[in-house]
Amino acid sequence: MARAFRRKGELYAARLDPQERAIVVGLLEQTRELLAPEVAATGDAFTDLIASLGPDFGSSSDPDAPAAGSRGPNPRRAEPERDRDPALDRLLPDAHRSDPAIAAEFRRLTEHDLRRRKSDTITAAIDALAVTDGDKVRLTKAQADSLLVALTDTRLLIGERLGLRDESDVESLERRIVANPEHPLAFAAAVYDFLTWLQDSLAGALMGRRLF
Amino acid sequence: MSILASIAPVQERQADSADVADPAVPWITLVWNDPVNLMSYVTYVFQTYFNYPRAKAEKLMMDVHTLGKAVVSHGTREEMERDAMAMQGYGLWATFEKDS
Repeated sequence: MARAFRRKGELYAARLDPQERAIVVGLLEQTRELLAPEVAATGDAFTDLIASLGPDFGSSSDPDAPAAGSRGPNPRRAEPERDRDPALDRLLPDAHRSDPAIAAEFRRLTEHDLRRRKSDTITAAIDALAVTDGDKVRLTKAQADSLLVALTDTRLLIGERLGLRDESDVESLERRIVANPEHPLAFAAAVYDFLTWLQDSLAGALMGRRLF
Repeated sequence: MSILASIAPVQERQADSADVADPAVPWITLVWNDPVNLMSYVTYVFQTYFNYPRAKAEKLMMDVHTLGKAVVSHGTREEMERDAMAMQGYGLWATFEKDS
């Protein structure tokens, strides 16, 4: 049974049983899979340099990307690309609301870098959770920061799959699940709530907040 | 956002040029409300990235939550692109634009 994060000296400690840990790590891995730049590092300096210049320099979008959610185009993206997972637009929204050209330029210049940075952060979080001592999780400040950010991207991804785009969506999902505990989204919503609780306890521990 | 962060000691702050909008550098970075990001996390990000003191970070977070958005920094376009990129790196819904 999980126990919330709290600060212990220089470390941030929690408890996650093997099943809870496997769920968290599995979801982090899925999020990384979505976010990882489409051109993975090859180890070849020249190839990696070209790849780092961004997707315009070679890679094509992934034709096997998961199917889009059921709610149509994401309002966070003025001109969504076909075949692009809408959750990506949730994780990497348009950075300019009224000028699509500025938004597109920003995306061209930053997306590859942001995706690499986010996937590296998730890798650091997964590595931090791989160290086990029974149910105990003990993180350094840097590991705690990585997990905190990684949990954000993971919750954004699950939130998008659950259709949570504004506060009313959260209430309506809660109502539907309370009315029908067998609702197909009930398990995903429970996992989402668990990650929310875990992340909030970690944020609290990092901020020096006393927990409830 | 969900789940209120409680009040905790204010951290040390650095000099904050973003308190005053300079007409010579009229670009802003905005953070928009979304139902996923936690109030505690958003506050932590504003403190960590901008070095804002706890009180200012919480005020901005509450503006995002209650007003739907908040201007989190002012500066040149280049600086605002950097801030927007950083906020998106943290998973916040950030945009930048020319101040009006």
